[in-house]
Amino acid sequence: MRRIYLLSFVLYFAMAGSSVQCTALAQGNKGATTQDATTKAGTRVVTLPLRDGSMRVAVFGDAGRGSREQYDLGTLMEEYRQAVAFDLVLLTGDNIYGPDGPADMKKKFELPYKPMLDAGVKFYASLGNHDTSNQRFYAPFNMNGEEYYRIERNGVSFYALNSNYLDQKQLNWLTAELAKDPNSWRVAFFHHPPFSSGGRHGSDRDVRTVLHPIFVKNGVDVIFSGHDHFYERVKPQDGITYFVAGAAGKIRRGDLKDRSPITAAGFDADLSFMLVEFVGNEMYYQAISKAGNTVDSGVIKQRD
Amino acid sequence: MKRVGKLYICVLILFTFAMSGVGQDAGLSTRQSERPNEAALADFEARVRKYTERREALESELPQLSKQATAVEIAEHKAALVKKVLADRTTAKRGDVFTRDAEKMIRSIINKHYKGRDRLELRKELVEAENKNVRVKVNGIYPESAELLEMPATLLLVLPQLPKQVRYRFVRNNLLIVDRESHMIVDHMANALR
Repeated sequence: MRRIYLLSFVLYFAMAGSSVQCTALAQGNKGATTQDATTKAGTRVVTLPLRDGSMRVAVFGDAGRGSREQYDLGTLMEEYRQAVAFDLVLLTGDNIYGPDGPADMKKKFELPYKPMLDAGVKFYASLGNHDTSNQRFYAPFNMNGEEYYRIERNGVSFYALNSNYLDQKQLNWLTAELAKDPNSWRVAFFHHPPFSSGGRHGSDRDVRTVLHPIFVKNGVDVIFSGHDHFYERVKPQDGITYFVAGAAGKIRRGDLKDRSPITAAGFDADLSFMLVEFVGNEMYYQAISKAGNTVDSGVIKQRD
Repeated sequence: MKRVGKLYICVLILFTFAMSGVGQDAGLSTRQSERPNEAALADFEARVRKYTERREALESELPQLSKQATAVEIAEHKAALVKKVLADRTTAKRGDVFTRDAEKMIRSIINKHYKGRDRLELRKELVEAENKNVRVKVNGIYPESAELLEMPATLLLVLPQLPKQVRYRFVRNNLLIVDRESHMIVDHMANALR
């Protein structure tokens, strides 16, 4: 009898321990991960719903270093592309660090993502503080000569902004575009995060001051940015979910502030990228580390 | 007593006239102090426009860069533009755009915008920025490898707007006007943030 009590006691604590781990992940313990089940035939199993006809996107930033790590993450992304079949990538800036001559573009962009480029995946870039304006002409970035632009896919509007230089002209353009936008899903991506728990950079208050009111007023649902070299999902701000996805080239380990009041989830232990799927009025997201672990996942409802 | 009363009224009238004169002078001097600002702004904008118009003319002599260009085409276009613009600007010097009046006007805008802690924070950011070693020189090319320090969005909204061909950029405590495509420093002013 005593043994049964002892066993129950041990089992209870084992269960309690596992539930604590799950809670920690949901609340954003920055080191916590869950191991994905991998795979038959080398493809990755994902947590997104993968509904028929849904819109699937990958998001990452601060990648363009030409480092071994960048290439490794590129290889992993290709494995996920085969499983998820995303055909669009949003780049949150710092796409090419340092010089951006032809050899650099090859080493820091074309080669790391060659399998995806060969498969017809379209990359859409926003400019970071390490990118030059001339990159707006670079065909594989699909910016069509503009530093800020809107694209539309399956009823989702994506706004690429240039947060290096948010002048009145750009803000006027954004406001006018949003005012006539027929799509109910409105997503913006740019480099400097209006909300971030980074120790190195953190929230960019200037960018927040000028952009957040426009987003709130014009029904923008989700923001992706980079600059801070980690992953973070910020608690909704006036109904808007902000992500920091700036960990695709070099990680800034331990840079996420502990006990940041705005963090919903975060991961700063390794490189990562995001997968996103739009299904009706829901957006599913999954952040994946270089080791192939899911470090955050969930669903966001479109704002009313 | 009556005499004292008359004297009091006279003094009051004289004082009123004197004060109204002072008021007029004050009003005048305020307007006069605004005038150089307006004139400085107009002159600054004209000088910027003079550069951008000339630069556009020079660029129009080059083959047009496709909006779907290769990295090689972009590099070639940039090199050709730099060559042409530099050849055209052999006499360019500091102060061609940032005249003394323009500097005064811009410093005043920046210092009105940044006060107290905000000013200290910006100053710290500028001093610590990765681009702090960039050499600031008219006709110098801002190096590709250097970070493009973000221009504070709220400051951009109060500074005079620039045409699309040029950008403001901070390097340390210097405010630069830089060509967007060639990265050439058109002009710069020191001690932008007092």
